[in-house]
Amino acid sequence: MSIMEYNGGSVIAMVGKDCVAIASDLRLGNQALGISSNFQKIFQMTDRIFLGLPGLATDVTTLKETFRYRVNMYTIKEERELEPETFAHMVSSALYERRFGPYFIEPVMCGLQKTHTGEYKPFIAATDLIGCLNFAKDFVVAGTASTKLYGVAEGLWEPDLEPEDLFETCAQTLLNAVDRDAYSGWGAEVYVLTKDKVIRRTLKGRMD
Amino acid sequence: MPDGSFAHPQQRQFNPYTDNGGTILAIAGADFTVIAGDTRQSEGYSIQTRYAPKVFRLTDRAVLAVNGFAADGNMFVKKVKQRLEWYRHAHAKDMPLRAIARLIQTMLYAQRFFPYYVYNILGGIEEDGSGAVYSFDPVGSYEREACRAAGAAQSLVQPFLDNQIYFKNQKAAPGTSHPTHLPLSDVLSIVIDSFTSATERHIEVGDGLEIYVVVARGRSPQGIEGIRGVQELSAQPNGDRTFILRRELKKD
Repeated sequence: MSIMEYNGGSVIAMVGKDCVAIASDLRLGNQALGISSNFQKIFQMTDRIFLGLPGLATDVTTLKETFRYRVNMYTIKEERELEPETFAHMVSSALYERRFGPYFIEPVMCGLQKTHTGEYKPFIAATDLIGCLNFAKDFVVAGTASTKLYGVAEGLWEPDLEPEDLFETCAQTLLNAVDRDAYSGWGAEVYVLTKDKVIRRTLKGRMD
Repeated sequence: MPDGSFAHPQQRQFNPYTDNGGTILAIAGADFTVIAGDTRQSEGYSIQTRYAPKVFRLTDRAVLAVNGFAADGNMFVKKVKQRLEWYRHAHAKDMPLRAIARLIQTMLYAQRFFPYYVYNILGGIEEDGSGAVYSFDPVGSYEREACRAAGAAQSLVQPFLDNQIYFKNQKAAPGTSHPTHLPLSDVLSIVIDSFTSATERHIEVGDGLEIYVVVARGRSPQGIEGIRGVQELSAQPNGDRTFILRRELKKD
């Protein structure tokens, strides 16, 4: 029994044209037994940073609070908003601190990074359970359906998608991947982040 | 100690199986079938060869793709071909596709306690002229389907096919419905996209791609003859026609 598959769950994040999307399933299980169909794994860290935490559910709850604390401390001490790239390094070091007794989480994050010209640039990143960063240019995936997510995303994703098209690509990728994974599914949610708004949608999908 | 005593028990073992990687895929159309496989053969992290076919023409209307343990796969194809030749001698005709499917089941189950470590996908044209795909597990459990992926990248490709072939999680525009079968050009694009995606993310998939197309007798080959590098394999042009299409895949 792998501890990474104990509760199940999957997350994906994608880059679009001046926007980013992050999506997850809503299942919480105890191995093969489904416990909840309303277990959120995506959390809003700032106005323009979202964090997805697939993995061991107890660590999802712990890390969500840990990062809320750390982000607040940063904002107060620095008196400025936290940038997504900085946040990614914060996640990485928080996990590496537990190098030999890790949290069983593979975080996926996305956001809009402020450039020196004052514009916003899409940002996505993911790490493994000990904080090794992966700054991908297209999409990042994690969780029990990760292999399926890679296959579908590789086939569906294309550069410079507009927010609505990015939503559809992200939603279709997640839905079709989790339908082939026994440990993921039981509902899904998608967030699309643009420079002036956040769209959140709950998806209707297979509940078996 | 080699003194025959039981004081120091010795253990020996031999594992007769290996996994040689690769991926196969088949999709049925209304009056044609596409059967494809990559040509990389590997063992662990080593590539044994960049060209080892996994897809084989059995008759004018049947193509078999084998994936898993290559030695078992090649031997199995050899034996199926032999049984089909015997059938031709006895009955003076080719065995129908659904009969080949049942033959494969019995041949696999005959080895129930020392199985061929192989996943089979059989594609071709049924006696009624429809395109058909049969997929098998290593001990002969089988099913007729519209599409199936198997092998190393099955988990990457199958959900993509669910979406693009079965239109899973997609709703048709009001007043319309999803097609039950796609045209050949769409199917070929999906097959090539599936393999380029699998090659991108899976180390055991790549090098080359072989796509077999079987078109039912008297039906239009839907412009396949015009595609770059297509080769026709059929003996007589008025029966079911078989074409092969080769593509390069990334070699890293």
